[in-house]
Amino acid sequence: MPLTMEKQAIKANPHKWLELYGDMLYQYALPRVNDSVIAEDLVQDTFLSALKGLDGYKGEASEKNWLFTILKNKIIDYYRKKATEQAVMTMPDLKLMDDEWFNEEGSWAENKMPKDWQAADNPVEKKEIQKIINWCKDHLKELQQHVFTLKYMEDLNSDEICKVLKISSSNYWVLIHRARLQMRDCVEKYWLKN
Amino acid sequence: MKKFMMKYLMVNCKEATFLMAKKEEGKLTFIEKMKLSMHTSMCSFCKKFEKQTSKIGIESKHVHAEDNLSGFTKERIERMLDEHLF
Repeated sequence: MPLTMEKQAIKANPHKWLELYGDMLYQYALPRVNDSVIAEDLVQDTFLSALKGLDGYKGEASEKNWLFTILKNKIIDYYRKKATEQAVMTMPDLKLMDDEWFNEEGSWAENKMPKDWQAADNPVEKKEIQKIINWCKDHLKELQQHVFTLKYMEDLNSDEICKVLKISSSNYWVLIHRARLQMRDCVEKYWLKN
Repeated sequence: MKKFMMKYLMVNCKEATFLMAKKEEGKLTFIEKMKLSMHTSMCSFCKKFEKQTSKIGIESKHVHAEDNLSGFTKERIERMLDEHLF
């Protein structure tokens, strides 16, 4: 008995993909690319690549994990392509922007000082925070949003992100610093409002 | 000497929050580590910032949409799969 089960487990079943994983993949892709048409295309491309690679699928990873790995690569490719298309993405004037967060001595500006959050550790609250994060992320400026998505939603490291987005490491650190300031402030506003 | 050290290691909130992003990837030098930990031990705002930002980082990985694929797209994908499978 266990033997047949094992055999079944390593065989991919493309006929079931759409039904089993279609929505799941889409729900993962959508917040990471912010565009329903692109997210749909990425899901379709994922299935297409998986079909082409079917012979190479040895069942080391579960079918689901295998499809997710393909999708994650597609998401990174999407950002890589975007960076190439928009070769001259304007770097914002960083000196100017920092004024909003800190005063002249480099201490927190009065209206930006982090406040206390009530604990958000139960599953319902976590879900709520995730929704707020998604909303706030959508409102980041373009390059900050790309950096934030790749770093915190896709778990790439700074070196990988610099390569994908074709930015220098010093620009990366400034962008991620800005994105973190912006995100924390935005999440706090909506979290405390509820 | 102690005074000199203090002055040398003193960073402001702007620098401290900047160093925190690097800290996440283990990219701080020994001196930077000292600077950051000295600052956060004294600054409750930056302490909060670090904690809350780390929470955002953790929860970001779990962000999912609630929408499903549209029926139209499902049909399109179904057709594509069929074409390749038969």
